[in-house]
Amino acid sequence: MSRLERTIGLVLRVGVTASTVALAAGLVLEFMSAPGARWLLHAGVLTLLATPVARVTVSIAGYIRERDWTFATLTAIVLVELLASAVAALVFNKRL
Amino acid sequence: MIFAAGAVSGGFGALLGIGGGVLLVPFLNLVLHLPFTVAAAISLTTVIATSSSVSAARTGKQLINMRLGMLLEVATAGGSLFGGVTAQLLAQSTVQKIFGVVTAIVAVIMLTRLQRRNVILDPTIDPGVLGGRYHEEESGGTVTYRVKRLPLALVASFVAGNMSSLLGIGGGFIKVPVLNAWCGIPVRAAAATSAFMIGVTATAGAVIYYGIGQLVPALAAAAVLGVQLGSWGGMRFGQRASAKWLKLLMAAVLFAVSAVMFIRGIR
Repeated sequence: MSRLERTIGLVLRVGVTASTVALAAGLVLEFMSAPGARWLLHAGVLTLLATPVARVTVSIAGYIRERDWTFATLTAIVLVELLASAVAALVFNKRL
Repeated sequence: MIFAAGAVSGGFGALLGIGGGVLLVPFLNLVLHLPFTVAAAISLTTVIATSSSVSAARTGKQLINMRLGMLLEVATAGGSLFGGVTAQLLAQSTVQKIFGVVTAIVAVIMLTRLQRRNVILDPTIDPGVLGGRYHEEESGGTVTYRVKRLPLALVASFVAGNMSSLLGIGGGFIKVPVLNAWCGIPVRAAAATSAFMIGVTATAGAVIYYGIGQLVPALAAAAVLGVQLGSWGGMRFGQRASAKWLKLLMAAVLFAVSAVMFIRGIR
């Protein structure tokens, strides 16, 4: 297994585990109407959304290290597309 | 309630190798009466979770073709961005009609693939930059393949990405048959690579829903936990169940969902 593959596997595993724990804890607090529930739930969702972004970022770094410029560029385009969707969300937010 | 729905759709998804979104979205929209955009946002969140946990478990087994995946992600993320924007502009009834048509297509694809076709592979083939090879446990041999008709794969990925964020589904059912039937990729590698890609695809859509405030964290949390439990159970049960009957049952359910969704869209 290549170094990049191992790193990607690790990023995905850590991201999913962290967000699942946060979401589960947040849901339990929500049922008890305890403070901090909202914060934990948002943190869990954001961690989940950040996981693929982190995976793409790690891939760019990996391809640069391997001097694979074609794939470094392609992966960078994917990252730009993900950032563009965040920008699109902000634009809609202003207008609505 | 949403937790249970997540568990059921996650279980079926894992059994059939398709995302559970195609079942979860209609349930949230038609039974629980959540707006379509809210239902789609919840479902996309579960898609990210499933994709990430399944791919994390699969890395190192060479089944995921990462290079091909990253290349096709350029198309799926672009399609998803476009679909997420479109979802905000279309009326709910229009999206419901599209959902009805797309689910009917999924059901037809599922029926035509009851007898899964085996690709005959030449082990001496050069996989090239995008191809791959993996060890197949059933036959004990090494499967080597080369990617054909890349432009077609890119178009299919764009459409899959578009449908993904518009309808709140993974989109694997569009990519996997195309990659398998026309692009020379063995079905297991196609499915694993697609599952790897849909995390990024769904994120491009989910970020838009989240930014607008249509992604309700508490509901998403219940669905994500349910789907995680369901897909775990589905994989356990999957080894024993008859795939053919499951697919027939699933196709029947999909036709019903498709009809109900379409009729709701017309009214």
